[in-house]
Formats: sequence, structure tokens, C-alpha cells
Amino acid sequence: MCAQPVTNTKEARWQKVLYERQPFPDNYVDQRFLEELRKNVYARKYQYWAVVFESSVVIQQLCSVCVFVVIWWYMDEGLLAPHWLFGTGLASSLIGYVLFDLIDGGEGRKKSGRTRWADLKSALVFITFTYGFSPVLKTLTESVSTDTIYAMSVFMLLGHLIFFDYGANAAIVSSTLSLNMAIFASVCLASRLPRSLHAFVMVTFAIQIFALWPMLQKKLKACTPHSYVGVTLLFAFSALGGLLSISAVGAILFALLLVSISCLCPFYLIRLQLFKENIHGPWDEAEIKEDLSRFLS
Amino acid sequence: MGLVSRGTAEAGLGAASAVDRPGPPDAVPDPIPTPPAEGADPGSSRGPGMVLKAYFPTCCASADSGLLVGRWVPEQSSAVVLAVVHFPFIPIQVKELLAQVQQASQVGVTVLGTWCHRRQEPEESLGHFLEGLGAIFSHKPWFQLCRERGSKSWSCKATRWQGPASPAASGEDQVMLIFYDQRKVLLSQLHPPAALPDRQAGDTTASAGGLAAVFDTVARSEALFQSDRFDEGPVRLSHWQSEGVEASILVELAKWAAGPVCLLLACLLSLVSAASACRVFKLWPLSFIWSKLSTCEQLRHRLEQLTLIFSTRKAKNPAQLMRKANMFVSVLLDVALGLMLLSWLHRKDLIGQLADALIPVADHVAEELQHLLQWLMGAPAGLKMNRALDQVLGRFFLYHIHLWISYIHLMSPFIERILWHVGLSACLGLTVALSILSDIIALLTFHIYCFYVYGARLYCLKIHGLSSLWRLFRGKKWNVLRQRVDSCSYDLDELFIGTLLFTVLVFLLPTTALYYLVFTLLRLLVVTVQGLIHLLVDLINSLPLYSLGLRLCRPYRLAAGVKFRVLEHETGRPLRLLMQINPLPYSRVMHTYRLPTCGCHPQHSWGSLCRKLFFGELIYPWRQRGDKQD
Repeated sequence: MCAQPVTNTKEARWQKVLYERQPFPDNYVDQRFLEELRKNVYARKYQYWAVVFESSVVIQQLCSVCVFVVIWWYMDEGLLAPHWLFGTGLASSLIGYVLFDLIDGGEGRKKSGRTRWADLKSALVFITFTYGFSPVLKTLTESVSTDTIYAMSVFMLLGHLIFFDYGANAAIVSSTLSLNMAIFASVCLASRLPRSLHAFVMVTFAIQIFALWPMLQKKLKACTPHSYVGVTLLFAFSALGGLLSISAVGAILFALLLVSISCLCPFYLIRLQLFKENIHGPWDEAEIKEDLSRFLS
Repeated sequence: MGLVSRGTAEAGLGAASAVDRPGPPDAVPDPIPTPPAEGADPGSSRGPGMVLKAYFPTCCASADSGLLVGRWVPEQSSAVVLAVVHFPFIPIQVKELLAQVQQASQVGVTVLGTWCHRRQEPEESLGHFLEGLGAIFSHKPWFQLCRERGSKSWSCKATRWQGPASPAASGEDQVMLIFYDQRKVLLSQLHPPAALPDRQAGDTTASAGGLAAVFDTVARSEALFQSDRFDEGPVRLSHWQSEGVEASILVELAKWAAGPVCLLLACLLSLVSAASACRVFKLWPLSFIWSKLSTCEQLRHRLEQLTLIFSTRKAKNPAQLMRKANMFVSVLLDVALGLMLLSWLHRKDLIGQLADALIPVADHVAEELQHLLQWLMGAPAGLKMNRALDQVLGRFFLYHIHLWISYIHLMSPFIERILWHVGLSACLGLTVALSILSDIIALLTFHIYCFYVYGARLYCLKIHGLSSLWRLFRGKKWNVLRQRVDSCSYDLDELFIGTLLFTVLVFLLPTTALYYLVFTLLRLLVVTVQGLIHLLVDLINSLPLYSLGLRLCRPYRLAAGVKFRVLEHETGRPLRLLMQINPLPYSRVMHTYRLPTCGCHPQHSWGSLCRKLFFGELIYPWRQRGDKQD
């Protein structure tokens, strides 16, 4: 009498619930358990050339730092006249400014609502303050040792590279801090230059290359990817050429770094994707899908 | 004999309650005598363990037999005997006298019982007579205090008459005899306990109230003690008497003279204060100067004190009287010290020497400062200073010193005369002279103060600028509404200018900080000297010298409580205790009677001082009067 219902329930299906009394031990599972196993649900398939294209942002930023240091070295050695640099910088800024509006046909400007008068004001502020402070900057670090200044600049430029907004969505990214560190480094380096005009031109150049150039890059990359690749290549080669004129070893090392970042790293990323084994199933712990970033101030 | 208990002897007012309660077993045997078997009346209405306390003055212990006069305190079930009325007397006259005393002192003085002092053979008739008196002066309970020949054996009975018709139905209570020194209790002033032990707090306040009632009774019935032993009055009393009324003629004369003198001085003082309250002195620059000069503060303080001392209004309570006396002694001592200083200064022509020495000293100080500045303008201690800023600051300060030296040399012909006049002020008191000294130091080191202010302002500006620019550097800002640091997106030009300024300030900070540090140290030196002088002045101003002298010479005048000594403890006899007055500790005397000073307390704690120094806020050695009310 007693055995009859037991056999009946054995035949009954096992349910993965704890709130019903079932004739199985608590840790019992049947064959259907692994049916729901999924692998690499959220894994993305990367295209090699697409990754190479995306890595060009890093290349650009490395080249910017390199170009800045090379220009500073030329100025410090007296090989580059500040007038010439100022003129070139001004001309390229004007070209960039025109390009900035031409690329998207003025849509970005309409969206942000920024007038040309505001741009002019900003430019005037940059120029006046830099020019006014350049004598102060010139004598600012006289008594501080040159090595200290170099160490500080290297530290700040590394910080600039680390905190730069490459498009990744991470907590460490802070474009404000990155830009400020670059300006600090440029002021430190400019105070080592022989005359106050040099310092002025150097700081102006730093604004152009660290603040304005990335803005143009972003727009180029979004609107005309082909020309962006060309510009990146041109920029990288010019940086390499500049570095080559200073030190061949440095240029070779820098070229290796660029190649490894743009070619080797994407390759390695795609290779490593094969080893990805991310399993998902009904046993997974709770996943919060909601975007929590709005709670972080 | 011994202390009732170790704990209660020091517990001040708690001692009174401790007698009622069994003490710790190791201290003494139970001070409450076991009730004698024959004395215990089973039909008696009183509760078990009811002990009556009879406070008996020691000066009456050798008095002739008579009536006990005093006050019955029913809440404490204790009787305070104030005096003994001797035989022979007429009951009506005794009652009249008591009524007079009661009217004068507002104390319910009654006849408490009888006092029998047997010098010779025991007289049986006297005993009966004394019992009979209870019918005339009815009082519940009726005390019958008896002292046998010699001082050894005492007996005491307290009887409660159930009714005058049935003396047989009376009940007897146990009585504890407590002797007290009438003079000391009369003169002493009882201070409530500072901090009560938590466990017995309620108990102790009750017993403190009882003790206070005893003290109060004795103090208020002073009218009873005014009759002299040798007076031929209708009623002869025995109690404590002051000795030598004749010797106090001088005191009486002084009392007579004090009234008019006080009036005259009060008039003079009101004139002076009216002059000082004149509107001319309240105009802006003058009032500002007055508030900064410590001499004016001290003079105002003294004026207030003198007005209080010589006011014709009578002091309301002993505390006010004590305060007046303290102030008077303090002023007297101050003036005496000032006169001594004055005579010392004038005897050796020290003022001239001082005046001659002052100019070279000021010159020397200025020269040292110049050397210091020149050292700072070089590379002091190998520090990385900004050369341009260093030069600018150094020249600025050098120019100030130059100005200062020329000012001092302009002043030099008048210095001796000024010093002579200042020296005269010492006859107003040592504190005034010290305050003037403090002010002179402040005036002579004005250049250091100026340097300090410039340095501090510059440094403060830099620190605040750096802190807000550092937030900008990290892309944050200070949210005033929420009082926290929020993230913020800045414009490009804001970022650029902020970072430029940040860099400039960071590299210029060491230079400014060094100047600030050096001048702050100099300023702190001056402030320390001034602070020490202020401390001394405050000490003289606030020391309750009269109270301290009383505590030293007449410890019983300031009572913190009492302690009891067991005189006799035998079964079958009443427990006899001697009440002794615990003097107030010196620390409490200081705490209770400290005179208020003129509000020159240091403003900061050490932590806040360091914080202020770090952030470059200005520090002052004293707090102004206006700040205190905020």
C-alpha cells in the first residue's frame, strides 16, 4: 500500500523547485540539467582591421606626446625659431578650425549651440593669459633642478596618456584630469626654455596639440574614416621622422611600440578570444542588467 | 573613639546620613546602640529604629541646670539646642524672650526639655521638679538631659507624652547626643557638595538638607546670643559669647566711618565713569583703539570693581559679601605692589636708564630683522625659492624696517618723558603697570605685526587658491549647497587658466610659506610674552585672596561638610558624637570664589590654533569683548 504512491512519484517529473515536497534529495538533478548551458553569450567577434582602426586613437595620442617632446627639444636646442612655430601653429589651427566646420557641414556647431564669438573669446583668453604669464613662467622654476622638472613632466605626460578618453567606458577615464596634466607638463617644460617668448609659444602649442587636435580627430574619425587613417599614418610618420632626427634608437623603439600597439595587440586580442570560455546557465547568480552609473556621482 | 567610618568622614555632608546607617563592618562597630530591653515599650507608637538626634553646644556642657532652649526639626527628627536657661526663672518671662527671638530670627525657638548638671549629691527633688516642668512647657518629645558628676556619665531621655493626664502611657525614644562647637557653626558657611556620589544621591541631598537646617538654625538665631553673660536680665542664659566686646571699638568706629567714606568714593567713581562714558570717546577710531589696548580694558575692569566695592547697597548674601571682600583685598594688594614698583623705579633713577636703553634695543632688533631678511633673500638653508618673488618680498619688508627705524628715531627725544609718566601709572596698581608694559611691547613690535599680517594674508590667499584649483585640476568642484565635492565639467579655457594658475602657485608656494613661517615665529614670540603678562594680570585680578586667607587662618569659616567622632559608645547609654567641621579644600575655594576677569582669555585650543596657523588665518593673543557675546 505504501509502495504504490512512491513508484508513482518516481515516475513523476523532477521539478527544479524547493517549495514543493518531492521524493528526491535536495541536491538531486536529472539529465536535463545541462541542456540549458550556454557558452560565450556576450562574447564579441572582432574583425582584425576594425580593431586596428580603433587602436589608431592610442597611436594618435602617443604621437601627439612624441611630437610635443620633439618640438620642445628643438626649441630648447635653439634649432626652431619660436616665430616660425607660432606661425605654423596659427595657420594649422585656422585650417583645422575651418575643417572642423566643413566636415559635418556645421551640424555639430548647431547641436552644441556654440557661437563663433565664443570661440574667438576663448582663443583671446588663451593667447592673452599665456602671453601675460610667460615672463612668470620663464622664471618660475629657476631654482628647481632640471632633473626634477624632467621627472615631473614625464610623470604628468604618462598620467595624460593613462587618463585620456580613448572611448572606453571605464572609471579611470577623466578627460579633465588628462588635459590638466598635459598642461602642467607643458608649463614645466616651457619654464626651462631660454626666453619668455619660447615659453609662450610652447604653451600655445601644447593647447593646440593636446586640447584642439583630439577634438578634430574625433570628428574626422566619425565622419570620414578613410581620411582619418591617412591623417593618422601621416602624423605617425612625421612623429617618427622628428624622433629620428634626435635619436635613432628612440625612433626605432617608438616605431616598435607603435607597430606592436596597432598590429600585434589586435592580433593577440583576436587570438585570445578563442580561449574565451564564459558559461551561462540557469544556475548563474543574479545579474543586474540595469545601468547603475547614474547612481555614481 | 574613632571616626564613624572612613568613607563618611570624607564624604562631607554625606556623613550625617551615614550615622543613621550601619557603617562598613571593618570601620567601627555599629554606632546605633542596641535598644535596651527595659526601655522598649511594646505599646509605644514609634516605629522601630527611630533615633532622635540632639545637637548640643559644647559650651553649655558645664552650664548649671536649667531649661534647654532650641529648635525642633521634625523632618530630621533632631533637636538643635541653642542655649540653656538657668534657674531661677519665671516661665512667662522665658516665653516672652523666646517669642522675641522668634520674631527677630524667624526660627521656631522653643523649650525642648530640661538640663540637669549634678555637681554634688544627686538631688531627688530636682528630678521631680524637672519632670514637672514638662507640664508647663509642653513639647513633644520632651528631652531630659542629665550629666552626672565628672564628665563621664551622661544620660538622656526623650519622652513623648501621650497626654498630660496620663504620664504613664508615655513612650521613650533613643537619643543620640551630638556635640557641636556653637561658635564655629555660627560663623561657618556651609557649601553644598560639588558632586554627589550617584548611588546615594537622593539620600545625601536629604541629609545635606538636614545638616543645612542645623547650620541655618544656629546662624539665624544669632539674636539669642547677643545677651551678655554679665547682663542683669530677667532670664539668665548660657551659650557661646564673643570675647572682648570692648576691643572691637575700633571696628565699630570703622563701621561708623565706612558709610560716608563709601558715599564720597562712590560719588567720585560715578564722576569718573561718567567722564569715561563721554561721547567723544565712543567715536569710531577712538573706540577701536580703546578696545585694542589692554590698559584700557584693565582700567575699566578696575573701575567696575571699585564701583561694586564702594556701592552703598548692602551685600545681600554671604557670597556677595565674600566677593566684595575678595575684590577689596585684591585691589589693595595690587596697589601696594604697584607702589613698591614705583618706589623701586624712582630710587635708582631706573627710568632714565630704561629710556636710554630702549632706543638701542629697538635699533638692534631692527638690525637683526634686516639681517634675517637678507638671509631670506639669499638661498636660506638651501631651499628652492623663487628668486624674483623672493627679491620683491625682501625689498618690501626692508623698506618697512627702514620706515620703522626712522619712526623710532623721531620719537627718541620724548621717550624718557613718556616713560616717566607711564611709571606714575604704577600707583594705580601693578596690573595697570603690567598692562601698559604689554601695550608698549605691542607698539614697539608693530613692524613684526605688520610683517606677520602681510605674510599671513599672502599665504592664506595661496592656500585657498591652491585648494580650489586642485579641485579644478581633478575636474571637481566644491558644492556649497550640499557641502561636498562634486564632479563638474569645465570649459576648455577655464581648465587652461586654472591649471596655469595652479602651476604658478605651486611653484611660488615655498617662497611665501617660508616668509610666513619666519614672521609667524617672530609674532608667536611677541604673543607669548604678551600672553604671559596677561596671565599674570589675570592671576592678580582673579585670585580670591580674602577667601584663601580665611581658609588658611580660620578653616572652619568655609565648611564643606562635617565629620563625626564617637566620644562614647556603651550599651545602655546614649551614643555621644562630636561634630567637627570639614574645611573646604583649597581647590574648591579657588573655584567658588574666583573673581571674574576682564575677559582676556586665550581664544583657541591648541588644535584650532595649529589649524589656523596652517591655513594662514590671523591669530590674536586675546579675545575682544565683542566676540565674547557671540
